[in-house]
Amino acid sequence: MEVLEIAIKSIIIGALVGVGVGAGAARMFHAPKVQGMGAFRTLGELNACAGDAASHFSFGLGFFFNAWASSVGAGAFTQDVDHRIIPNWAASVLMRKGKRPEDTLHNPKKMAIAGGIMGVIVVAFLNLTASAIPESLQAIAIKVLVPAANLLINPVMPVIFWLAALDAGKRSGFWGTIFGGAAHLIMGNAVPGVVLGILIGKGVDDSGWNRVTKTLITSVILLFVLSAFFRGFDVRLLESMYLNTPEWLKDLHKLIGLEVK
Amino acid sequence: MSSQTARVMDQEINKKAEIDLSKNFWYADWSFPILVALLSSGIFAGTHMYYVYKIGAFNDVAIVAMLEAGIQGAGYGAAAAFGASFLFARILEGSLVGILDIGGSLQTGIGIGVPALLLASGITAPLENFVLSLITGALLGVIVGYVIIGIRKFTVNQSNSTFGADIMMGAGNTSGRFLGPLIVISAASASIPIGIGSIIGAAIFYVWKKPVAGGAILGAMIFGAIFPISLE
Repeated sequence: MEVLEIAIKSIIIGALVGVGVGAGAARMFHAPKVQGMGAFRTLGELNACAGDAASHFSFGLGFFFNAWASSVGAGAFTQDVDHRIIPNWAASVLMRKGKRPEDTLHNPKKMAIAGGIMGVIVVAFLNLTASAIPESLQAIAIKVLVPAANLLINPVMPVIFWLAALDAGKRSGFWGTIFGGAAHLIMGNAVPGVVLGILIGKGVDDSGWNRVTKTLITSVILLFVLSAFFRGFDVRLLESMYLNTPEWLKDLHKLIGLEVK
Repeated sequence: MSSQTARVMDQEINKKAEIDLSKNFWYADWSFPILVALLSSGIFAGTHMYYVYKIGAFNDVAIVAMLEAGIQGAGYGAAAAFGASFLFARILEGSLVGILDIGGSLQTGIGIGVPALLLASGITAPLENFVLSLITGALLGVIVGYVIIGIRKFTVNQSNSTFGADIMMGAGNTSGRFLGPLIVISAASASIPIGIGSIIGAAIFYVWKKPVAGGAILGAMIFGAIFPISLE
C-alpha cells in the first residue's frame, strides 16, 4: 500500500519538477531578455554537450548513479536531479534524431514536455528502488565526476568569470574583484560576487549612476551584509583577528536562530 | 560546432525570438511565476516525502542532514538561516542576470529553509499532508516568481542596459568547455585503467566531432566496470 502511495506521489512530484526544470532550462538560453531558471553551470554544461544526444545522456547518467546512491543511502536526491539529470536527459531525448539544439533544447515548450516525462521516470525510479546500485558505477561517479564538477565550480568558474570581468572594462573589473573576493570570503564561492560586480560595472557603463544602478549597488551591499551575518561571518572575522565577540552580537545571532560558538 | 558560431547563432535566435517573446506563454515574464510555482511545489512535496518516508528530498546529503538534525531535536536554526540567506541572495541575483539559480533559491531555500522555519514554529501540517505540501510549495513559488519579475521591472526593463549579461553568458559557455579535460584529469587521478578509458573515450569523441566530456565519462565507466575501484 505504501509503495503505491509513494509511486503516485512520485509521479506527481516528478511531473511538476520536470516541467519547471525543462522550461526553465530552455528559457536560460534566451536570458537576459527572458527570465530563465537553472544555474550558470547547468547552462555551461548543456553547452559543453554541444547538442549531441549521446553526450547529454552520458553526462546525465554519470550523475544519475551518484544521485541513486545518495537516495538509497540517505534519502537525498542530490541537487543534480534538477540541475543535471532532468535537463540533460530531456535534451538528449529531444535531440535523438540529430535535431538542432535551437529547435529543441532552446524551446521551452518542448523541454517542458520532455522534462516532465523525464521527471516522472527519474523521481519514481529513485524513490522506488531500494536495492543498491552496482558499486563500481557508483564509485566512478564519486571518484571521477564529483571531483571534476567540484573543480569546475571552484576554481575554474570563478577564474573564468573573473577574467571576463577584468576584460569587460575598468568598472566591471573593479567591482568584480571587490565583490568576487568578498563573495569567496563570505559565501565560499566567488562566482555570485563576480556576477554582481559585472552587473554593476556594465550597468554604470551603459547608463551611468542613475536610480536603478544606485538601488542595485545598495541592494548588493545589503545582500553581502545580510548573508555575512546569517553565516556568522562577523563572528568568524572577529575571532580570526583575535578579538572578543561582544555579548550583544552573540545574543543577536541567537535571536535570529543561528547559534555561534 | 565551435563556441564562437554557437554564440552567433544564439544571438540570431534571440533577435528572431525577441519580437514575440513577451506575448508567448513559454517566453513571457508573466508566465515565469507559474513555472517557478510548478517546480517549487514539486520540491516542497519532495521534502514532504523525506519527512514522511525518509526518501526523495531534492538536495545534497549535507544540506538534508541539517534538516534531519532539526527533526531529531537539535534545533532548526542552522537549516533555517542557511536556507533563508540562500533564497534571499539568489532572488536578487536571479532577477538581474536573468537566470534564477534553482539550487540555492528553490531546492535549499524553499525545500530546506522554509520547512525548517515551519517546523521550528511547530507547524507540521504542510509537511505531513501531501496535498497541503503541494499547495504550500506552489504559493511560495508564485511569491518568489513575482518578486523576481517585480525586481526586473524596476531594474533591467527600465534601462537600456543588459547589465553585462552577454559577458556572463560568454563566461558560462567557456566554463562548460573545461568540463571535458577536467573529467579526463580526475579520471586519470582515480585509477590508471579508468584514466586510460577516459582518454580513449575523449579522443574518439574528439575525432567524431562530439563533445569530449561525453566520451570521457563513457570511457571511464566502461573501464571502471571492467576494473572496479573501491570507494575507500
